[in-house]
Amino acid sequence: MIAYLVNLATLVCINAILAVTLNFIMGYAGIFSLAHAVFFGVGAYVAAFIALQWTDSLLLQLPAAMLVAGLISVALALPALRVRGDYFVAASLGFQVLAATVFSEWKSVTGGIGGLVGIPPASIGGHAFTDPVEFLALAGVTLVLVVVLTATIVRSSFGRSLKAIRDSESAALAFGKNVALIKTLSVFYSTAICAVAGVLYADYLSFINVESFTIDASTLFMAMVIVGGIGTVWGPVVGAVLLTLLPAALTYLPFLPRTEIGSVQQMIYGLAMVLLMIFKPDGLMGIKRGEA
Amino acid sequence: MLLLQLIINGIQVGALYGLTAVGFSLIFGATKIFHFAHGASFAISAYIFYYLYAVLLVWWPISILASCFVVVAFGVALDRYVYGPIQSTDGSFFTIFVGSFGVAVVVQNLIGTVFGRGFISVPSALSKSVELAPGLYVAPAAGIAVVTAVACFVGLQLFLGRTNIGIALRALSESSALVRTFGLNPKAISTCAFALGSLLVVPAAVLTSMTSGLNAAIGGRVMLISVAATIVGGVGSLRGAACAGLLLGIAENLALWRFDPQWSEAVMFLILFAFIVLRPSGFFGRVATS
Amino acid sequence: MGRLRKVAVLAFSLLVAFAGQASAQDLRIGAIFPLSGANADYGDLYMGATELAVSHLNDAKVLGGKLSIAYEDSQALPQQGVIAMNKLVNVEKVAYVLSAFTGVSKAISTTAARSHTVAVNGGGVGPDLAELGEYFWNVIPLANFEVRAMAPYLVQKRGLKRFVLVYVDDPLGQSIKRELESSLAPLGGALAEALSVPSNAQQFSGIAARVRDAKPDVVYIASFGAQQSQIVKQLRDNGVTQQLASYSGFAIPAIASLPEAKGALFTTQRIDWNSGDPVTKRFTREYQTRTNRAPTAYAANYYNAVLLFGALASALQKAGLPVTGENLLAKRREIGTFDLVGGRVTFEKDGTIRSAMQINEVDGEPAVVEIVATP
Repeated sequence: MIAYLVNLATLVCINAILAVTLNFIMGYAGIFSLAHAVFFGVGAYVAAFIALQWTDSLLLQLPAAMLVAGLISVALALPALRVRGDYFVAASLGFQVLAATVFSEWKSVTGGIGGLVGIPPASIGGHAFTDPVEFLALAGVTLVLVVVLTATIVRSSFGRSLKAIRDSESAALAFGKNVALIKTLSVFYSTAICAVAGVLYADYLSFINVESFTIDASTLFMAMVIVGGIGTVWGPVVGAVLLTLLPAALTYLPFLPRTEIGSVQQMIYGLAMVLLMIFKPDGLMGIKRGEA
Repeated sequence: MLLLQLIINGIQVGALYGLTAVGFSLIFGATKIFHFAHGASFAISAYIFYYLYAVLLVWWPISILASCFVVVAFGVALDRYVYGPIQSTDGSFFTIFVGSFGVAVVVQNLIGTVFGRGFISVPSALSKSVELAPGLYVAPAAGIAVVTAVACFVGLQLFLGRTNIGIALRALSESSALVRTFGLNPKAISTCAFALGSLLVVPAAVLTSMTSGLNAAIGGRVMLISVAATIVGGVGSLRGAACAGLLLGIAENLALWRFDPQWSEAVMFLILFAFIVLRPSGFFGRVATS
Repeated sequence: MGRLRKVAVLAFSLLVAFAGQASAQDLRIGAIFPLSGANADYGDLYMGATELAVSHLNDAKVLGGKLSIAYEDSQALPQQGVIAMNKLVNVEKVAYVLSAFTGVSKAISTTAARSHTVAVNGGGVGPDLAELGEYFWNVIPLANFEVRAMAPYLVQKRGLKRFVLVYVDDPLGQSIKRELESSLAPLGGALAEALSVPSNAQQFSGIAARVRDAKPDVVYIASFGAQQSQIVKQLRDNGVTQQLASYSGFAIPAIASLPEAKGALFTTQRIDWNSGDPVTKRFTREYQTRTNRAPTAYAANYYNAVLLFGALASALQKAGLPVTGENLLAKRREIGTFDLVGGRVTFEKDGTIRSAMQINEVDGEPAVVEIVATP
């Protein structure tokens, strides 16, 4: 039982990192991306590729994954960030579908739909994280670092510039802010850290395939941010905890017929989102409008 | 001949994409609601038709009418009881999106539980192709798709151009304040947009239930294509959405001419991507005002 | 508020889990089936068979206690499968897990090997499944045997030489493509075109045009679940009149009842439902009365997988050994041959079985048209 909770807690940590990074661009920079799972995937594939081909060293996998994901995102952000709002959402949607096709077709690297099997456990300085509890500690420490780092950035002058751009791009521009640069940097940060979650995910599950990096995953991450509370420090973490544990908790409800568990889970998940948006649109940890 | 066949397939599919996209575009343009559950409307309409026509063996016009009725009720109910309350407290683009997404998830699973998750199709002679020329097969459904799409679109344009509520609907997409100044109720017009927009999925849903068949998850794909067509056509331009739907359908099929089938969806979204980056105002170049 | 609720949910789940722990003699095995999603039809089919096997074993009292199965839903998705596998291994502490679908099976095999849990596949037929380590067993002959049985039959007995393959681009589909490529040439046949489709595709009118354009004698379909029905219907609707062929994925009720699939040929492992041996007889009779369906190879495989566990566990109990993954593996190697539905089954070194094949024709209920001996 402990091992199972450890397993869930590790997945919660990974999802929380994803939600925190997505919240960084959604909540503070006002960039709504439906392609977050792509960078999660890039991180995971880079880590798996390195682990299977060369080394299981986390210290090598992490920077490589962060760099690749960050560079791809910047290359895309430069043209796409010129458009705003709804258009960017649609652009990210298109990118997500394209990337999923590439993930399933570039078989020499991604293993296609069959995925990559038997990824060795990560190690730091020769110490392999084979014990699930140790891995949880690793994921937990990473999550804390990410939360602290993100909170620090948000409070810094860079964070204030970001919020200024979110609230009024033209005003920020008038104040002499380099809007394009600030936006691009924030996308780079968000996707690079997102790739860290991908690395942990690949090393932890020791199996990855395209199904974890599709539009469904992207919408799930987005839901975590919104359910928890967009633009708050703890909201994304709470959202990640709830949405990761909900399916697991539902499997313990004894009165559900076995063949309907999956559907009932999904229905509760959908219904919860609808009700939350009607009654508490700022999310569970949300603060009143205007304070952010 | 393969090329011609693929173009004809593309027109058949594209006409239906266009019609569904026009429905989405109408709602999005007039109310600024990102109606992600539009795909759910499609699935509901298709399954109601299937259940009445193929299972209960109801006469087809009645099945279609019932399907229209249910899907309009669904759209209007969503507007009243989900989007309305959300808009009154928050109304940001993404809050509505998430609420709508939740509805789509619930509907998909509800359909799966009620009608089963497997493949179903409505048996019909309309989907059986006949060989028009050597190697060129066309089903009656293709003709019906094109004729229905054109008829619906012309009807819609007449409605929007000639009736008061239609003109108001177009005005609402420009400015809700303007509509209020003229003493019209934006809520009633929004209801009208949802009714019309939802109604427009019915022809595509009924024909798809005969040609491709249905499964519970069909709404998601319909939705993606509607969004793509709306953006490619230019937000708020119904003519653009219709043409973009047609273009995407043809592109999807033409991609098969030279590429492996798994790339055809990617080709559609590459077009979307290119339009957003190079021509964000869409086909007919109406300047985006966001 | 949210946090409180989470604590409450966790506490509740702990309670349920502990209350569910049974007496030491009772045995529990796991099953990871698609119980929701587009492939739920299969899970339903498998479950009918495993439940029957459990009741037979419990009636026979060959095991010290009661046997039960903990079912988990994979939705036929690898990631869900891994989460389910972790739960079965760590919470339910099972030593024996039934698995289905090639992708899911591959994904859980690492956990199986690391935790020394036996995983038994009775539904996935991707040939890669033979190479997933000693804790991964297959009670179903893999697709390479199916293609090797079907290709000679079509080329030599039916004179259908020109093949077009429509396949899902996953490990199973790719292996069928490889197998067709290598086995057709020596027979004098040819694979004129191989069209891969994404696993979520639903529109096949364009594919049908490509198929017609390649002018095949026979169209081989390698997909599964709802999609294969869609492919069959749309091919037939769009002017493809040629013979259709497939692998054991067609052995589900949805295909049997699809009018467009009539006349299609597909392979399954050879099972003589009318054979005299008592295991097969009992299974055939009771499966029919219990589920109102004709027995299929899939059902037999999962029934067999549970029966196999019964045989191994009772042998271990007699020897006074605990029922663990290691011991189950050792016992299987020691015994080697088992009496299961369809006759006597011998495991190969790599944990797979060989069996004779049969070619079935879809005609309302599938009818056997040809039997191909064990390779």
